[in-house]
Amino acid sequence: MTVPPDPRAGVSRRSFLKGSAVAGLASTGLTAAATAADGPTTFGPGAHDIVLTVNGAERKVAVETRTTLLDALRDGLDLTGAKRICDRGACGGCTVLLDGQPVNSCLVLAIDAIGRPVQTVESLAQGDLPHPLLEAFVHCDALQCGYCTPGMVMSSLACLQQRGRPTREQMQHDLAGNLCRCGTYGRVFAAIERTAQAGGK
Amino acid sequence: MTAPAGPRDGVEITVGYRGLGGMPDRLEARAVEPAEGDAPPWDANTPLRQVGGDHDRVDGLAKASGRAKYTSDVNLPGLLQAAILRAPIARGKLVQLELDAARAMPGIAAVVALKNVGSRVRFVGDAIAAVAGADLHRVRDALAAIRADYEVEPHNVDWLRGEDAPLLDADGEIAEPWPEAVALEGALALAATTHGATYRTEVQTHSSLEPHGATARWQGEDLEVWSSTQATFGVRGELAQALKGRGLRVGAVTVHAEYVGGGFGSKFGAGVEGLACCLLAHAAKAPVKLMLDRFEEHTTAGNRPAALLQLRGGLDAEGRLIAWDVRSYGGCGFNVERGDGGGNVAVPDYYTRAAKTRRKHTDLPADTDPARAMRAPGHPQGWFGAELFLDELAHKAGIDPLELRLRNDSQTMRQDQWRFGAERFGWAAARARPNAPDARFRRGVGLASARWSQLGSAGRPPHGVQCRIHRDGSVEVRSGAQDIGTGLKTVLALIAAEELGIDPKLVQAFTGHTGDPSGPGSGGSTTTPSLSPAVRHAAFLARQQLAGFVATHLGADAAEIDCRDGTVGTRTQRLAWAEACKLIGPNPIDVRGQRFPNYGGKPFSASVCGCQFAEVEVDTWTGQVRVLRMLAVQDCGLVIAKKLAESQVLGAMLQGISFALHEQRIMDRQSGRMLNGDFLRYKILGSADVPELDCVLMTVHNGHSSTPAAGLGEPPAVAAPAAVATAVFHALGEPVRHLPITPDKVLAALARRA
Ligand code: FES
Ligand code: FES
Repeated sequence: MTVPPDPRAGVSRRSFLKGSAVAGLASTGLTAAATAADGPTTFGPGAHDIVLTVNGAERKVAVETRTTLLDALRDGLDLTGAKRICDRGACGGCTVLLDGQPVNSCLVLAIDAIGRPVQTVESLAQGDLPHPLLEAFVHCDALQCGYCTPGMVMSSLACLQQRGRPTREQMQHDLAGNLCRCGTYGRVFAAIERTAQAGGK
Repeated sequence: MTAPAGPRDGVEITVGYRGLGGMPDRLEARAVEPAEGDAPPWDANTPLRQVGGDHDRVDGLAKASGRAKYTSDVNLPGLLQAAILRAPIARGKLVQLELDAARAMPGIAAVVALKNVGSRVRFVGDAIAAVAGADLHRVRDALAAIRADYEVEPHNVDWLRGEDAPLLDADGEIAEPWPEAVALEGALALAATTHGATYRTEVQTHSSLEPHGATARWQGEDLEVWSSTQATFGVRGELAQALKGRGLRVGAVTVHAEYVGGGFGSKFGAGVEGLACCLLAHAAKAPVKLMLDRFEEHTTAGNRPAALLQLRGGLDAEGRLIAWDVRSYGGCGFNVERGDGGGNVAVPDYYTRAAKTRRKHTDLPADTDPARAMRAPGHPQGWFGAELFLDELAHKAGIDPLELRLRNDSQTMRQDQWRFGAERFGWAAARARPNAPDARFRRGVGLASARWSQLGSAGRPPHGVQCRIHRDGSVEVRSGAQDIGTGLKTVLALIAAEELGIDPKLVQAFTGHTGDPSGPGSGGSTTTPSLSPAVRHAAFLARQQLAGFVATHLGADAAEIDCRDGTVGTRTQRLAWAEACKLIGPNPIDVRGQRFPNYGGKPFSASVCGCQFAEVEVDTWTGQVRVLRMLAVQDCGLVIAKKLAESQVLGAMLQGISFALHEQRIMDRQSGRMLNGDFLRYKILGSADVPELDCVLMTVHNGHSSTPAAGLGEPPAVAAPAAVATAVFHALGEPVRHLPITPDKVLAALARRA
């Protein structure tokens, strides 16, 4: 029953839930879907291995249909940079980039991320030097307890990538989904500004 | 830094501060008596190279990159997840609890009761039982399978509807007469201007972004716990006590809290969630993680109690306060019945030194989650009422609010701060600028004072800090206390680097492990002032040992050796730090510094002083208030890490705006349940609400210890809501006496004015 993974292709949540054909399944990245040879695909109950493309690497992780991308990253892959703060799309602490777009990973099902590049905050410190945005966060002291910070960093990254040199209003807009109880917002704006000035994205 | 060690009886130091802007210096000599063996005092004339500088937060990159592991991030092999069953009723009794069905469910490893049948249920969210299992989905399914029956009693979740609550009229004013007080009535009769009004604030939840919770692992008799806490040693003691029946002794409990995602006063204990986590891990024979969800955070993890204040007072013809009468009430949940309400409301006392005063406070119960300390407990509520009241009084008397403060504030330091701040803020011009009578947007400026009376303490037995110097030149400082975001690690590293005369990058600071020397809980802004002298002493002792090695090597007298600019030696012969450290054997220099008691006698300033200014813009069509800009002038004691100190002040201002304009717990009287227990409906300040913020730190050598830092958790949190509220009063010409200042209240105030 094992279907070879092809993480480059995706599956939309709708086609998946309708029950895609086996031919479709071959391109979903599911590695252990329980499916009849000629019937519609099913998934669950119980956990199945899927392959996610996280920070440029293919990672196998066991999920159920109801597992969020956030839980797959945190509990399955030990990528705990993204935080579970509200689990309801209200705080932005779980922000990652999916297809290059910032999303609340607590609102995305893990299976919906199959075949789509996921970028987490950990990617920004993978190389020898941390990403300039991280350095700017530290330099500007754009963090206190730091719990909201990975989410802030990822929203800031998206803001920079999409706008180049964002205005203050644009930063306020793009970070409106990220809550910080310690009150670091102003310094987050400063960090974005600093990164933009240095031409870093 | 080169003063000799050993007993000293009486050292003369210079205390006080250098004037900000054009303000005068206030420096004076003072004789202090350092304890025998303590490091010599740093005073206003000590040249400091690292302390007070623009250093980065030492764990900033770990946090920003997601590498920092908080309690919620701990993953262990075989880790189980857990959650708590919460009572759906606000008052009554648990009469049946059936756990077997849950136990039998697939993927469930342990189920424990947290309340015995027959126990009382005190609020919606009271903990009943807990479940651990393979994942949270299964755990939640199992929680749903637990049968709990209750005997329901009538409840009251509205603290102002209880039996002892004062009667309010339609305008929210306390309708009961003041009790007689001859001296006060006499003073009021003499006053040229009098005023009386009622002020009110709502329940604010701490809303730390990392939830409360723990991860627990038993290994034989030993218990290892990761706890999201602001008191590692408190949690350790609490768990050992609670699990005594299982033969657990304190020494067998290790608590980790290396990174903590905020606390603000709500995380002093292990809490029922921490205990449940340990019980489940014990029963399941596997590690368990139990973190609260956001609704539990809002409804079961404490809050700043609501407050009601009635003030009346009078000014004489010179604008001096001669009468000041305050009665207050705190709405703090069911713990009032337990006798530890915690709803006390603090009001400033430095304006009223010349006045006849009276003060009375009552805590009022309700069937809700108990109040907990929250960032400057009682202060933002009381300062809001008092400062807005003063502005109203000034308005009646035709006196500028700043002038009224200057005439009455008995603290010299704040007098300087008022003057400096007013100048920097452009107070006079902003205050004089009129709003066009028919303008849609009206602007206003306001101000408020702050005070916090904590300078840290030695602890009993005294707190300590470990310092090690290794032969590779690296330095390690360790405190078992926790850094909840305030920057303790950075503070420890900078002070050690200063004392050792080295680059702070050579120092690694560790916090939040109970295996390291004990420190205070992070409350009352005491961690930094308590531990700064301790780390200083540790580095001081380590330096003396290093000096011994170097003296032998150089054939010099150890008393002539000093450490500075990365070198160690005498005036004429110096070794690079790395070379000096090579003289250390395979075992590092390893010393434990201690926190000595504060110097006897009066410190230069026994409290931490500040003031803030705010400008707001009110949309008279929608009732929306926007804060445009704010300024804080803040006494910080000795500033250790400048950027971090600023962050604390800036953050406190934003939290204060959030309290003033947005935050409010809304209870459903019928069900007793919080209606807005999430971040969609419980609004906290977000990026779009952020004004221009300016903060000016003042180093004040208060001379309380060798290293006279102040904590900055609470001091800057006291003034902000009041500054916003007084600015709104200026903009509208009509006060809004009930926080949060939401659009409905603004529109009502405008209607009153019209
Ligand atoms: S945890 Fe996803 S938005 Fe809050
Ligand atoms: S830094 Fe603490 S919540 Fe943002």
